[in-house]
Amino acid sequence: MSDPIVHDIVIVGAGLAGSWAAMVAAREGITNIGVLSKVHPLRSHSGAAQGGIAAALNNVRPVEGTGPRGPLEQIPADGEPVDSPDLHMFDTIKGSDWLGDQDKIHVLVNDAVDILYEYEHMGCVFSRTADGRINQRRFGGHSAPRANFAADWTGHVLLHTIHEQCLKHGVNFYSEWYVLELIVEDGITRGVVAMDILTGELHTINAKAVMFATGGYGRAWKITSNATANTGDGVAVAYNAGVPLMDMEFVQFHPTGIYKHGILMSEACRGEGGYLRNGNGERFMENYAPDKMELAPRDLVSRSEQTEIDQGRGAGDDKQGIYLDLTHLGREKILQRLPQVREIAMNFLGVDIIDEPAKIQPTAHYSMGGIPTDVNGQVIRNAEGEPFTGFFAAGECACVSVHGANRLGTNSLLEASVFGRRTGYEMARFIEGGAKLHPITNPDPTKKQRERIERVMDKHNDSQAGRIAPIAEALKWNMTDNCGIFRNEEKLEKGLARIHELKGDFTKARVMDQSRRFNTDVLMALETENLLTFSEVVVAGALARTESRGAHSRTDHQKRDDTDWLKHTLAHKSENGEPVLSYKDVCIDWEKYPPQERKY
Amino acid sequence: MTQTVTVKIKRYNPDTDKKPYWKDYTIELTEDKTVLDALEEIKANQDGSLTFRRSCRHAICGSCAMMVNRRNTLVCTTPLKAVVNDGGLFAAKNTVTIEPLPYLPIIKDLVVDRSAFWEQYQAVKPWLMPPDVVPEKEYRMSQEEVEAMEQAETCIMCGACYSSCPVVAGNKNYLGPHAMLKTFLRVMDPRDQVPEERLDMIANANGAFRCHQVVNCIDACPKGLNPAKAIATLGKMSLRSGRIKGERAERMKKLIADAEAASSTN
Ligand SMILES: Cc1cc2nc3c(=O)[nH]c(=O)nc-3n(C[C@H](O)[C@H](O)[C@H](O)COP(=O)(O)OP(=O)(O)OC[C@H]3O[C@@H](n4cnc5c(N)ncnc54)[C@H](O)[C@@H]3O)c2cc1C
Ligand code: FES
Repeated sequence: MSDPIVHDIVIVGAGLAGSWAAMVAAREGITNIGVLSKVHPLRSHSGAAQGGIAAALNNVRPVEGTGPRGPLEQIPADGEPVDSPDLHMFDTIKGSDWLGDQDKIHVLVNDAVDILYEYEHMGCVFSRTADGRINQRRFGGHSAPRANFAADWTGHVLLHTIHEQCLKHGVNFYSEWYVLELIVEDGITRGVVAMDILTGELHTINAKAVMFATGGYGRAWKITSNATANTGDGVAVAYNAGVPLMDMEFVQFHPTGIYKHGILMSEACRGEGGYLRNGNGERFMENYAPDKMELAPRDLVSRSEQTEIDQGRGAGDDKQGIYLDLTHLGREKILQRLPQVREIAMNFLGVDIIDEPAKIQPTAHYSMGGIPTDVNGQVIRNAEGEPFTGFFAAGECACVSVHGANRLGTNSLLEASVFGRRTGYEMARFIEGGAKLHPITNPDPTKKQRERIERVMDKHNDSQAGRIAPIAEALKWNMTDNCGIFRNEEKLEKGLARIHELKGDFTKARVMDQSRRFNTDVLMALETENLLTFSEVVVAGALARTESRGAHSRTDHQKRDDTDWLKHTLAHKSENGEPVLSYKDVCIDWEKYPPQERKY
Repeated sequence: MTQTVTVKIKRYNPDTDKKPYWKDYTIELTEDKTVLDALEEIKANQDGSLTFRRSCRHAICGSCAMMVNRRNTLVCTTPLKAVVNDGGLFAAKNTVTIEPLPYLPIIKDLVVDRSAFWEQYQAVKPWLMPPDVVPEKEYRMSQEEVEAMEQAETCIMCGACYSSCPVVAGNKNYLGPHAMLKTFLRVMDPRDQVPEERLDMIANANGAFRCHQVVNCIDACPKGLNPAKAIATLGKMSLRSGRIKGERAERMKKLIADAEAASSTN
């Protein structure tokens, strides 16, 4: 047994949320920080974000009299502002279908402008207006142009910038380390068990504070925009350690994934003026959201597309596609604003969007649920908001909740940044306030994980051993078919039963790669187990929630039900391994932002 | 009618193999399969020990650079059908070869060790060094200035340029095209306060003046960037600012002129 590695702060995840926290804590004087990431930090999924990051900078406005999809112009020096944090707040609350906590959303929108300028001062190269300010575009569900962008590689620019800052401030990275367990003893977080992927060795890391910033869980669905790393490890590992998960049933489907691949064509395509057409060439959004059309929020647009497809008006041979038509935008705009998207369509569809529409379909995209926290990243253990001492979380794996039942595009880069930064400050305060290093008393802390790995690598006893890959594949289809855009009791029951079966199959499955070194076969097995773990929570939450709200759409309960369901789901892992659900109130300012019907 | 493809993959586990060897797999060719899909399929159904890196699946994270038919390629966005029979004159029919990036130590199969690459990146202090007093809002910058930086800003650090560079192969102290592209980004950035210091960092025998303008990096870059030109420009800038004198200056001028001629054809 090697001695544990010791840090003041251990951060799992080096996307925007984890990197912000690390950078800030280091800047605040905490020198002993370790950041673990299963992929090199610059490969984190934040870098794949395309469209923009929200903040009411008031740099551009719609040209008067041209309607909601008309051209934009820069606001002159003496011009009236068109946007404000208040308006951003209202749009976010409405987008969330009133499930977002309004006190938290208040923090998100009020930190937004400041964090944008901080990014810019640190070196982000944003696209510019004619007078040299950060350029802005429209995004769905936002009533002002507040998506600040760098062409269509916004996430790439933000991630590289914040990573550089981490290096500047001397943050230690453990690149390609995989976290398997959160060590909690007597209710206090003490560290993690992690694997150095290169050697296959397990290590114990003891720390005063642990933060999870492990990103989303979209890989549980077959068609997904998510990177292969987005297997929801953080939520599953936290759940296994006794942390409740919140609102996991709310999963966002993005309207424009590349047909059959799910690779994203940014919402900026519609923000810049793109049309959606069904197989008959009709702009069907006029039947679903006559005012906002293609710029309605994602849940609504995805449902509209799926309805067109289900009613036989899809595109392509199998009628499962929809057309995204950008041809009227013109060559110059596409080259300047959507170069990456153009490349994607060429590579995956063989289509140049300058001349031809691209075939797309809804794709699993964003995880609204996750590890419940307060506005400073402190994880809470129950509906009363009691803290889980020493444990913090931010970014997509966390559920603050600012997105409620449906996230607006561009609000998640913002969320990861704002709450990553706040968590960094909070952890620095925690350490400087005299947080103790609680030693790990378990004499063999890696044992459980070692056994888990030995079991999937076991060559013997393989008379009935199955393979891991088909289990993952079956799970993804199961989630797509039974817990996708439209849900109902029958499907969800079926989905849950199938997950139980697959969990059974998993206990008998084995990997093929028998080496220690860089064993991605073992990693995929561990990831698959995590997918199974949280998928059960997703389906159980969706089955219990007998209403339709935001991205959770039940064909057997089509209305939002504020009387019974204006509340967050909390799922605890029980003794027998199954989730036990309880509920938590939503924070609402009943005077200012009482629930309304959500119309666009 | 289904067509099958032979995927020849270079395999190597330093713990158990004496040296790398080729292994053949057969899979079906379909319209929408990428080279990455082929690797995933082989790993899932035929050989779980096949090891490679990938993450984003759309050419933005930089994980999946490797050699396909001896060319540096991001396998995630390369259609399989585009590289079948593209292996040159002497390649077998219906065949694709996949190897790790060259010159870098192999960790396992298609996974290479990029630690030296990252060290050089860090050595040039890639972060912006802005003035002490920052504006209340954003710095004003023109869209033209932004576009001039885009050539460097969109680098995804996949390492294709680095591993294609014969100078890197021969000299591990050489900064490499990626690190100098990053330097270029910062030097071009009107917000950066230390362009001179940055030029000093690269205007030496391990930096811009080691570049032989072989321009492999331009061909190798899967994002269509031009590190050679950036390096030449940096060299030129440091010459103009009087850092380099005499014979070396003359040589540099020639190198820059050659580079510009070479890169203007791109
Ligand atoms: C294609 C795409 C486009 C998007 N575009 C936009 C957009 O335009 N605007 C917007 O606001 N949002 C967008 N989003 C959403 C947004 O990008 C994400 O919500 C956000 O980047 C999440 O950041 P994060 O820091 O929480 O996690 P990530 O950036 O996903 O980082 C997760 C980190 O955790 C690490 N990790 C995970 N598990 C483990 C483990 N077990 N052990 C060790 N490390 C681990 C990973 O290595 C990684 O470093 C987009 C998302 C997608 C999929
Ligand atoms: S997987 Fe990200 S670049 Fe290919």
